[in-house]
Amino acid sequence: MEFEAVIGLEIHVELNCATKMFCDCPNNPGDDPNTNICPTCLWLPGAIPRFSAEALEKASLLCLGLGAELQPKSAFDQKVYYYPDLPKGYQLSQAHLPLARGGGIDISDEDGKTKRLRIHHIHMEEDVAKLVHEMEGRLPISLVDFNRAGSPLVEIVTEPDFRTPHHAMEFLKALRTQVRYVGSSECSMENGTMRVDANISVRPKGTRQMNTKVEVKNMNSIRHVGDAIAYEISRQSQAVQAGEAVVLHTRLWDPEKKVTLPMRGKFEGPCVPDPMVPVIELTPEWIEKMRVRLPEMPAARAGRFVKQHGLTGEEAAFLSEDPEVAVYFEALVGRGIAPRTAMHWLATQLLPAVKERKMELASQPVTPERFAALLKMLAGDEINANAAREVLTHLFESGESPEEIVKARGFKQVSDAGALEAMIDQALATQAAAVADFRAGQGKALGFLIGQVMQASGGKANPKIIRELLAKKLNAVS
Amino acid sequence: MDSIFFYRNPDSAASGDGALAGLNIAIQPNISKAGWPVDAGSRALANFTALEDATVVDRLSRSGAFLCGSTKTSEFGFGLAESRAGEAVKQKIADTELVLDMTGEARLAAAAAGVCGFKPSYGLVSHFGLIGLIPSMETCGVLSSSIQNIRGILKAVAGPDEKDFSLPDESVPDFTAQLINPTKTAIGVPAEAQSDLTDEQRERFRLSIEELSQAGFAVREVSFPEWPLFLAVHKIVGSVEASSAAGRYDSVRYGERAPGAKNWNEMYLASRGASFGTLLKSFLFQGAFFQFQRYTAYEDACRIRARLVADMKNLTGEVDFLALPVSGGASDPNPATLDETYRQFACTAFANVTGQPALVLPPASKGQAPLQLAGPRLSDAGLLSLGEHLLKLREGGK
Repeated sequence: MEFEAVIGLEIHVELNCATKMFCDCPNNPGDDPNTNICPTCLWLPGAIPRFSAEALEKASLLCLGLGAELQPKSAFDQKVYYYPDLPKGYQLSQAHLPLARGGGIDISDEDGKTKRLRIHHIHMEEDVAKLVHEMEGRLPISLVDFNRAGSPLVEIVTEPDFRTPHHAMEFLKALRTQVRYVGSSECSMENGTMRVDANISVRPKGTRQMNTKVEVKNMNSIRHVGDAIAYEISRQSQAVQAGEAVVLHTRLWDPEKKVTLPMRGKFEGPCVPDPMVPVIELTPEWIEKMRVRLPEMPAARAGRFVKQHGLTGEEAAFLSEDPEVAVYFEALVGRGIAPRTAMHWLATQLLPAVKERKMELASQPVTPERFAALLKMLAGDEINANAAREVLTHLFESGESPEEIVKARGFKQVSDAGALEAMIDQALATQAAAVADFRAGQGKALGFLIGQVMQASGGKANPKIIRELLAKKLNAVS
Repeated sequence: MDSIFFYRNPDSAASGDGALAGLNIAIQPNISKAGWPVDAGSRALANFTALEDATVVDRLSRSGAFLCGSTKTSEFGFGLAESRAGEAVKQKIADTELVLDMTGEARLAAAAAGVCGFKPSYGLVSHFGLIGLIPSMETCGVLSSSIQNIRGILKAVAGPDEKDFSLPDESVPDFTAQLINPTKTAIGVPAEAQSDLTDEQRERFRLSIEELSQAGFAVREVSFPEWPLFLAVHKIVGSVEASSAAGRYDSVRYGERAPGAKNWNEMYLASRGASFGTLLKSFLFQGAFFQFQRYTAYEDACRIRARLVADMKNLTGEVDFLALPVSGGASDPNPATLDETYRQFACTAFANVTGQPALVLPPASKGQAPLQLAGPRLSDAGLLSLGEHLLKLREGGK
């Protein structure tokens, strides 16, 4: 029997707010344990939650960025359970009236066709404390770090529209891009600002039944999400084929062994409306104010790049993925650089160089102004591509302008036919074998000879002129 | 004689200035005052010292009042078992006393002490620093033999607080005394609120109502058929909220941790088991039962509550004020069970369910019962003026 998977995701995203969700403590969970705490996030007697306006704004921007509809009325509930990471016996979360409903992301499926993956709803909730288990001699002890208790989160709950690991991974990549765009979170699975649980069930292909699902947790990269889902689909398919029943439970992904293993069930308590956090009522005016703050989203921007700058869809998508790259690209084009040249040099030279130096595009020394000046010299045949790459290296190290670097270090392209001719004659005389190959019809030999001349010029020769002169000479002699 | 105080302020009253200068106020140890022990009457908070002033405490201190100490309270202020609320005012050790009113505690304590007890409208007074149990129903009540004192305290403490976002965005009432014109003031007496009274109680209540008629007020009987639902709603919604509110007393961050537990569940069970008294445990069990086992009943109770609030609004639209007994039936003065405790509050719980203000006046004569007056939400100033009018008549009248 052939099986098909039905998959839905629950994605926790930690908002990059300055403070926690219900108090003014810094939202820096990584600081020394229990340094960012106060009577409210420790829930000392008499403490009252004070819902943060910044958390509401960042969560709302995230919802709008994902096309979800902000609800005029949402409210916090108490998710009741007892665990030492929860300082008051309940977690404040929006169980009954979420902040937003709907929305979704278009991805390309395995066949390159667009597939819409819908979001069911997005709600806000507070994070819980971190438990650290250690040994004190032979005595196991558990330590609680409340720095993270009360950090602002949103949870994105999708519809069960996913069928393959590819869908899940593409969705998460696009989600990450879009959330970064609106600036609400770094959205990194590696550092824990995005956490993904996958609900997976299988059914005979072609049927519409919804079978018992299994929840899989503990994936710390998008790749792992794909691997865990693939493993779980095959595990469940085999189980069903063997006549075993799938029971509702939670499994943990083991990245070493690349398997999912059952975990002890965590008790899911009831959700009771919280009497202290006021109901959140959003007016159309407020929602419009948020919408205005929304930047141009990646899909829209990529579409515009195709239309306006004549890029391919793939190139446009690449440039739009990171808003900083997109802005940099448009800054180059705005300075008169041809879009394709800008795209090519950004993708193959500048971005790898920035990455290699562990810098950020926005704060590194090769500003769009300096890079554009360099690319202009290249376009004007003042330097060749080799030299441009060298000058780029210097741009990272010195404050000089590209023009100054070219001048001071003699990168100017040799286009003088007389000087080049001498070098060509020299090459023809010493590389008789290559000349013979060329005459025997091996076109590759021409490239070799161009290389020789280029080497003789110290990399400064204009390759176009070498090619012209070489071709003329080789053809003349034969 | 054992002290009625849990804690006495070691400082002596300073002759400060401010609107409340010279006023001697007792609080209870479920109202935070920085540096004072606040055990809220529970072993769960034994040896706990408040870190911050409750907003009411802060505002009273700024107005020049002196806090003389805190009086013994029931566990988390629920019910009046082992509470000494009201006695400091009765014995004139304090001019006024602040008592959390979550089921009617402040009003019943006032009635027992023979003084006035006022439960303000829900949302008028900040919850910050109050160690309560039923957030949507409790509010800081004020006891005093003088309504002027109560008004002064409300003036000082009522109004928005940046530390309590749960307060509705409403304008603060003007607490200035209003002139009461009895012939233009209609007072309704809900028939259903008297249904549990014994014959003797009924007669005492009748005499109290007669005082109103004699004072010239237009008194008439009104009907509130769903009256018994107030207590049912309070039992369900109140206990569910209490179950959540007490969740923080888990011995992880503070409080006493029972030794010998082998895992977290055992630690919770043993520590919470040792922390709470029997009555509170019953209340929390009841709440947990509705949370975990009968959630739909809880949802129903919330819906019924909304209906009761609307019905009460209609009723208080027909008359200006309501007059009701404070307690009734053969209720046990020292209840041991949850059921008996609730029976004590059968005539007061309505105001905690609806959030409306209620004022208890001591009886004018031996034959009378204490009288409870209530008005629509935010009618606090008018209600206090009505009480003051009646007390003045008593002084001048006979």
